[in-house]
Amino acid sequence: MRVERRCVIDADRDDVWKVVSDPDRYPTFMPNLARWETITDGPMGIGARYTVHWKIGSVPVGGVIEVVEFDQPRELAWTSITGITMRGRFRLREDAEGRTRVTFRLSYQAPGGLLGLIADRIATRQVGRTLAETLKTLKAQLES
Amino acid sequence: MAGIGDVLEWARHQVVSRVPKADLDQRDPDYIRDQLPGLWLLASIYFRADVRGLDRIPNDGPVLLVGNHSGGNLPPDTFVFTLAFCSYFGVERPFYQLAHNLVVSAPPLASLRKFGTVAANHENARLALESGAALLVYPGGDYEVFRPVWERHKVDFGGRKGYVRLAREAGVPIVPIASVGGQESALFLDRGQWLAKLLMVDKLARLKSVPILLAPPWGLVVSDMIPRLPLPAKITIEVQEPIDSAGDDDAVNEKVLSSLQSGVDRLAAERRFPVVG
Repeated sequence: MRVERRCVIDADRDDVWKVVSDPDRYPTFMPNLARWETITDGPMGIGARYTVHWKIGSVPVGGVIEVVEFDQPRELAWTSITGITMRGRFRLREDAEGRTRVTFRLSYQAPGGLLGLIADRIATRQVGRTLAETLKTLKAQLES
Repeated sequence: MAGIGDVLEWARHQVVSRVPKADLDQRDPDYIRDQLPGLWLLASIYFRADVRGLDRIPNDGPVLLVGNHSGGNLPPDTFVFTLAFCSYFGVERPFYQLAHNLVVSAPPLASLRKFGTVAANHENARLALESGAALLVYPGGDYEVFRPVWERHKVDFGGRKGYVRLAREAGVPIVPIASVGGQESALFLDRGQWLAKLLMVDKLARLKSVPILLAPPWGLVVSDMIPRLPLPAKITIEVQEPIDSAGDDDAVNEKVLSSLQSGVDRLAAERRFPVVG
């Protein structure tokens, strides 16, 4: 399943990038974050690994992720190493008058054949809500 | 001429010899991974489960998880907790569960062994902890799991505390796992310990209870051996702060019990309706 939410933030692209590329700030703008741990030391970049779990349904769902794209200040993408199969991405694009268009995307695929497909579909609403809330909080943080 | 004692001995041998030896190698992470979405659907939609405090479990190394047991032969909280553990720590972290001899030897439940379920005895438990794995035990076992529904919020190990020695000898902490809701998945009326004695299954198969319960779709059920439909009781599970296993058996057991009971009381107080939660 691929779920995507967008918003326009009234802030400079570099300022938005500073937040989404700082692992310490993830717990401050991501709701439902049940677990966020840094595995590799140092600043975020290609190869950096984190443990991320969102509370989706009854339990924390996620796993170890690795950053695979780190194109300042445009693209930040990760892929999962363990746990549920997942790719995530922040896309930052410049908009008029110093504003930034932000896209937050998650593609995920549960294992287990048919039941996995059903679980994917059922989780979509909650995943979408989590993405939307994330962008809302991010926007509020940057515009305050 | 063969007496009744010989017949009993023969029957006991037939049961015991069918209990599979603990083989920790039967756990299959890929199999577990494939089952998680199904469990997730069941836990999230049917049982509307909520699992809290998984971060209190040490991140690595062996640990003894001690829970209160509910739900008869279909204990929903066991499935929910297994899902939560495997999801939170990944199927890569070795995790075993102790279960009654009859559970691990029943042919239709063979797949449970791939989940890491092994027969409940001291030796298997020791092997699992020595291998560095997390181990889930329910000391109350078949005594606690068949308690009548009006005792659903009572933690009762029936005096069993061998788990303390197990943890101390292995040098691992005890993490209490409190859960509520499981005992509302059927209307348990009586443990039927008298029935177990009458049928002599207490000696034959280490089965101390032959419960009597009301459960769909059958109505009145004796023994809970036939598959039934569990009621969609809301399951809430709280992982609690680790307890050091060093010290006197009774003192540690007391600590674990009071921690579990206070957790169960807290979770029970949040419930407004039976089953619905």
